Amino acid sequence: MQQIQIDPCSLDAKCEALRAEAREFLAEALCDYRPADRAANWSGVSAEFSRKLGERGWIGMTWPKRFGGQERTALERYVVLEELLAAGAPVGAHWIADRQSGPLLMRFSPEVLAPRILPGITRGETFFCIGMSEPNSGSDLASIRTRAERCADGWKINGSKVWTTGAQRAHYMIALVRTAAPSDERHAGLSQFLIDMRTPGITVRPIRNYLGEAEFNEVFLDNVIVSDDCVIGAPGDGWKQVGAELALERSGPERYLSSTQLLLEMLDAADPADSAMATELGRLTARYATMRQMSLGVAGMLSRGESPGVAAAIVKDQGALLEQSIPDVAHALFGDTALDQTSLATVQNYITQASPSFSLRGGTREILRGIIARGLSLR
Amino acid sequence: MQSDNERMIADTVQRIFTDNITHAVRAHAEAGQVPEGIWRVITENGLHLALASADAGGSELTWHDAYPILRGIGYWQVPVPLAETLVAAALLSDAGINVPEGPMTLIEVGRHDGLHLQRDAQTLILQGRAVNVPWASVARWAVISAHVHEVPATELPRIALIDLAQEGVIVSAGRTVAGEPQGELKFDAVPTTATATYPSTYLSEPVLSLGALARSAMIVGALEAALHESVTYANDRVQFGRPIGKNQAIQQSLAEMAGEVLSARMATEVAFTSMSDSGRAHSRQFDVAVAKVRASESATRVSSIAHQVHGAIGFTHEHALHFATRRLWAWRKDFGSDAFWANRLGHAAIQAGSEGFWPALTDRSLLAQTIAPY
Repeated sequence: MQQIQIDPCSLDAKCEALRAEAREFLAEALCDYRPADRAANWSGVSAEFSRKLGERGWIGMTWPKRFGGQERTALERYVVLEELLAAGAPVGAHWIADRQSGPLLMRFSPEVLAPRILPGITRGETFFCIGMSEPNSGSDLASIRTRAERCADGWKINGSKVWTTGAQRAHYMIALVRTAAPSDERHAGLSQFLIDMRTPGITVRPIRNYLGEAEFNEVFLDNVIVSDDCVIGAPGDGWKQVGAELALERSGPERYLSSTQLLLEMLDAADPADSAMATELGRLTARYATMRQMSLGVAGMLSRGESPGVAAAIVKDQGALLEQSIPDVAHALFGDTALDQTSLATVQNYITQASPSFSLRGGTREILRGIIARGLSLR
Repeated sequence: MQSDNERMIADTVQRIFTDNITHAVRAHAEAGQVPEGIWRVITENGLHLALASADAGGSELTWHDAYPILRGIGYWQVPVPLAETLVAAALLSDAGINVPEGPMTLIEVGRHDGLHLQRDAQTLILQGRAVNVPWASVARWAVISAHVHEVPATELPRIALIDLAQEGVIVSAGRTVAGEPQGELKFDAVPTTATATYPSTYLSEPVLSLGALARSAMIVGALEAALHESVTYANDRVQFGRPIGKNQAIQQSLAEMAGEVLSARMATEVAFTSMSDSGRAHSRQFDVAVAKVRASESATRVSSIAHQVHGAIGFTHEHALHFATRRLWAWRKDFGSDAFWANRLGHAAIQAGSEGFWPALTDRSLLAQTIAPY
């Protein structure tokens, strides 16, 4: 247990000054944005908002200037992200590119793909989707069957991906595919490719969720030809690269803030004379404060070049527990009294229905806890 | 991150406690035998004066650097009133009162119905009854914080030293759920030995808040002990031909437990850090409240999982697990339970509303306004 450590991280005055700027920007940019819209949190999509954010220099803000970035610190970026999420800003269009696709390209293709693609991401114009899961490969990612074979023009890709968020608007997919037949070494023979979504042979079919949204998709890849320079990193290194990518995917403030709008609605609807209600909302407040410090602590570790994989898994596990407890508390406190059409009821309905996904996306609770158990040296 | 001081203290604490706090010591203490040898080792090493000023014979450590001592009381389940004496000495020393010899306990006067520090001619006297006082029958002194009865509460709180070995003090001894001494103290016009204004302006009830801070660290230590015991047991215990820790059901429980432990530890370490950061004075009341809520909540969940993982052996007195879990059940109640502090946080959050909540959370200033009168 001693080896699983998150150190408290404090933010300097420069970060706090940036926070003030972010609040001012958001107050104006979101002045007409309703609570029901904010409830979608980082699933909310607005290409216009993404462009505005890009103009402010708040996408890819830690990246080198030659890639369109601002060379800000990781903690400055953290502050902007938490302000965006607390306000429920519609960051969904560019979120994946900013969080993981851009950093991946920068790390594994700094000379070829990064200069070509990153500037568009920072302008809020280029969007990404992630091609990991397949119909028969969910948590067991190493069992994927989509394959790429050498051909005259580079590589020919065949197969399908599923649960691909944002594929309908993405300009690019980063896909994990097999480049060698499965062997005893399960994690060998996997590679990552950058695929332009306009390439012939790609079909995107939306999957409607029970909220009526069609945010994720099936993506069919039928003889899709990509050039040699679209291999990210070295062929066969896909598994290792995905591991690094998932650490970025699992540790951010989006892993505990998804139900924020419902907490805010409850605070406004609460009866100040009801002491039991105050206690429940106070418990959530303590959890918010603690999760924020844990998430910030992991950001601090990442910024020092550490790789806190187990700590990140704990943050996501604990964060999802908090996010999912909020609709339960809302039901306990207001289930009997909240009237239809009020902002509380609308937000409560949305988040109650959205919440099961919080412990599925980005690695299920069970997978995360398996990672944590290994970190505890359970043999 | 550990400072050099903190690391040195942590090493000293580990040496003293691993050498001296055995299963037998804990069991004998529970059976009513005061472990005087342990107390002597602790006081010879000055652990009880870690936070007191050099004038008072103390080491003048910051709260941050003294954290390993308080955490250690929980991790090794040290059966003496070290935490209470440590906090009491810090309060006396901060208030400029001489620190006396002998174990001390703590009382926040406003938390006990009918207990008052009141004026009697030119002196201040303590009148009434304090309940659930830790180590009541063992402590030689009590350090109290109070507002003088019927004086407007805008005045700063007072710290007073009370001699418990004097006429007018009646002790009725009891025990906590962990079998540690705790009891009731009746005061019949008992004069204070010394009294002074508490100089700090950031904690509204110094005994209650610093007691909660100390208990949070002790809880973290006991949580870590329970987790360590549970992981070890899951790796060692073989059923169906393999260690039970190979079962996903057990792994999932232990992973959740680790998350609870890490949460409690983060909340508590943040509070200790802000106690030692002058730029964070406005956050301290909030940070302490958050720490006690999260540590106490984790105490509940972690003790439950630890016992489930241990099976029947954890239910025996012979196995050491209960020394940690029963203390978790006791300490989660002390100096304000999770519900008590959550209630304060909740009232402040409701008052802040949707507009004010997030700014107050990022600034950790949600409880700062409650001490505005000072």
